[in-house]
Amino acid sequence: MRAFLLACLAVLVIGAAGYCALDALQQPSGEAFATDSARIDPSWSWRTGLAAPSGSQCQPRKIWQWFFVDFRRPADELPVCSDSQ
Amino acid sequence: MTIICAHIRLAVTAIALLMLAVAAAPVAAQQPGSVDPNAAAVKEQQLLQDHYFIRGLGTIPDTKSYVVEQPLGRVWRVVHEVWLHWIGSLVILGVVALLAIFYFTRGPILIEGGRSGRTMLRFTSIERFSHWMVAVSFVILGITGLNITFGKELLLPLIGPEAFSLWAIAAKYAHDYSSLPFVIGVVMLFLLWVRKNMLTAVDIEWFKEGGGMIGHSHPPAEKFNGGQKVLFWLVVLGTIGVAATGLFLLFPFYWTDIMGMQLAQVIHALVAIVFVALIIAHIYIGTLGMEGGFDAMSNGEVDLNWAKQHHSLWVEQELGQGRNAAPPAGATTTPAT
Repeated sequence: MRAFLLACLAVLVIGAAGYCALDALQQPSGEAFATDSARIDPSWSWRTGLAAPSGSQCQPRKIWQWFFVDFRRPADELPVCSDSQ
Repeated sequence: MTIICAHIRLAVTAIALLMLAVAAAPVAAQQPGSVDPNAAAVKEQQLLQDHYFIRGLGTIPDTKSYVVEQPLGRVWRVVHEVWLHWIGSLVILGVVALLAIFYFTRGPILIEGGRSGRTMLRFTSIERFSHWMVAVSFVILGITGLNITFGKELLLPLIGPEAFSLWAIAAKYAHDYSSLPFVIGVVMLFLLWVRKNMLTAVDIEWFKEGGGMIGHSHPPAEKFNGGQKVLFWLVVLGTIGVAATGLFLLFPFYWTDIMGMQLAQVIHALVAIVFVALIIAHIYIGTLGMEGGFDAMSNGEVDLNWAKQHHSLWVEQELGQGRNAAPPAGATTTPAT
């Protein structure tokens, strides 16, 4: 009886340890089966495109650029400023 | 006049040819080599027959997303939704039916001469611990695994979609994580028992006499008889089978593509079905089917008469090494010889 109860406890402990180990090893399926290119970053919004991020070297787009859909990157601007999400 | 007639003949011939051409057009459209409005569909069917995958073009790094159609997925779905149900039902219910017939015709195998009142240590604490760890996790794996194959048909109509959804999610997690103690337990049992599970000439004789199942003969056996040794090796091989294929499912797309995972799932399910049937028979013989058999795993001690009846060579060996059978607690008797 004692061997049986200890075995039950061992199943629980090893199962829980396995859960923790696999949780650390594997990504959530939403990340594992998507890619950065396909995933939409929820922190992105039109406002971030219109306003320069604080402390960054990115230049805010001018109204005429939005109007003419001209999103060419200025020569002195970092690539990250115009990378699409 | 002749000229007019010639013109009329020409006009009639032209009209006749035109009518013939119009009438023949649908027939011509069905001939090979002609323009077929369904050509695209025909080509797709040919592609489906000739290729494992139909891939498109993509720009994102995840190349798996380029697969537009995988025709073998339909085969897998039929195997999973139809064939596995039939195979699983026939194998598992077949074994249960055979055991029921055996029980009602042969009855349980009793200890001839009754219990002696003296016991022998058959399995140590570590052996029983390993066995129960395998047993407990196997029961969890079996129930949750059968739920994957049969749950939709058997449970869903009974408990409804909400309860079934909760149960299925919990069962899936339980299945994944109880696989670890199961494999660890089988490895422990393998290390503990492998030496005593090598088949010998004694086991051949044991099989020739039907293992004492039929009639009242009791062929000699070592610590493990021929049937137990075969079970041991089937459990080891079955564990390798389910563990290897289970890893492919536990780590999707790590080592194989979708086709490999479908194959792994089918092998996993087939091996597991045979495994479940095998263990049902093992549980029967260890409980209902044999008097005194369960004692070996409940407290580790078996009755001396039971041991002499089913494992006579082991008893001789144990007594020869000076390990006498102990009297029941509180009794004062002389050791068995």
